[in-house]
Amino acid sequence: MNQVSPLQEKARAADRLLLRITKQFAKARNGAAGFCLDLNATVLAGITILFGRSGAGKSTLLDCIAGLLPPDSGRVALGSEGEETVFFDSEKGVNITPAQRRIGYVFQSLALFPHLTVNANVEYGLVRLDREQRRQRRAEILQLFHCDSLGERKPDEISGGERQRVALARTLVTGPRILLLDEPLSALDVGTKLKILEDLQAWNRRRRIPILYVTHSPAEAMRLGENVIYLEDGGVLAQGKPEILRQYAVDEF
Amino acid sequence: MNWQAIILTLRLALTVSAVLVIIGLPLAYWIAFSRRRWKFLVESLVAMPLVLPPTVLGFYFLLLLGRGGAVGAWLNRIFGVTLPFTFAGLVVASVLYSLPFAVQPLVAGFASVDRKLIAASALLGASRTRTFLRVVLPLSLTHLITAVVLSFAHTLGEFGVVLMVGGNIPGVTRTISIAIYDDVQALNYASANQNALFLLIFSFVILSLVYALNRRAFFIGTVQ
Repeated sequence: MNQVSPLQEKARAADRLLLRITKQFAKARNGAAGFCLDLNATVLAGITILFGRSGAGKSTLLDCIAGLLPPDSGRVALGSEGEETVFFDSEKGVNITPAQRRIGYVFQSLALFPHLTVNANVEYGLVRLDREQRRQRRAEILQLFHCDSLGERKPDEISGGERQRVALARTLVTGPRILLLDEPLSALDVGTKLKILEDLQAWNRRRRIPILYVTHSPAEAMRLGENVIYLEDGGVLAQGKPEILRQYAVDEF
Repeated sequence: MNWQAIILTLRLALTVSAVLVIIGLPLAYWIAFSRRRWKFLVESLVAMPLVLPPTVLGFYFLLLLGRGGAVGAWLNRIFGVTLPFTFAGLVVASVLYSLPFAVQPLVAGFASVDRKLIAASALLGASRTRTFLRVVLPLSLTHLITAVVLSFAHTLGEFGVVLMVGGNIPGVTRTISIAIYDDVQALNYASANQNALFLLIFSFVILSLVYALNRRAFFIGTVQ
């Protein structure tokens, strides 16, 4: 359990996300079993795949980390070189708002603001900077994600792949301390997906923060993941390098 | 044409619409996003003017806010304000009577905004106020326009509440609908016809403008 890849040992920042969460996320009724998230895990800097079939509690876990849902009990904290930022602690009554957590979260639906241009979407989280700084940061990130030509267009005027890139750019430009990706690439063809994954990996090499990437594609898990957390029925079934998935005879292998 | 009544009516409708936007936005926001158990009670209260005859509202208004009423006596003592048979009183009563016409479209608009967009805004560091001003309100723009126009149009066509609360004082509370009633009572059909026709055409033009605007807003992608 919890094997550390060489890449992560080299990591310059030793950020890690400490999770201890219980959360009932579907009530038992009419004989159907209820689901309860009950896990204890550490997410290191770098890309960790959150793997599991639908209903395993992946999205609920991400919502709890981001502060969109309150866990029933437990603790969510970010540890960084001896310092700790506590996001949630049921014993001490801590629960800071999503806006204060500085967590990047890209939903499966992307949630780009439909009434704002690509530029305005990307600058949305940079309100504290002055205009010139905003423009500069926006130009940098759009270039990194190869969408510098989209600027004045609205989300419904660009392609699906471009929307995914803009959604990633909008989140990453704010310099999040943790990144949560809930199957953001599930609707794309393989070619487009691979290109975006390369961009994401390039960003990951530059800025080592804990990234939780939800997928139920073993191929994606093997290709992208430095670590894997395999979630089943709300608990951690296995945790380690992507190869551990082979032991569990996951369908697509 | 009775210009005095027309101008008074427009002044009343504009004032009431403006007050309803100011009251309606926070109230609709609360109804759309609150998770209080007793929310349904507030929703029912807001919807009451839809089912009650204006005479009931007017009656309790006079009872409560009249000089002898509990609230009315207090208002008079502290602020020297009298509400019955004044323009201010007409505004207060009309605001209450048109409340659902402003609040319900706004609630529908706010509730139709994708919750993921609101979550995304918060995750990007935006305060609730910023999220409301930059995301929720722009995406409910057509609902806001509908709310304003329905409030305006509903006040324009009001009769019962005005008669109960405002009476029939020229230049103060005699609105165009009251003037028409007066004309008909006095068998003054030519004058009644002029005023009625004006109201008819004016209402039609206003409503057409709104529907045209909503159509355009739809095509430029303001609505999802």
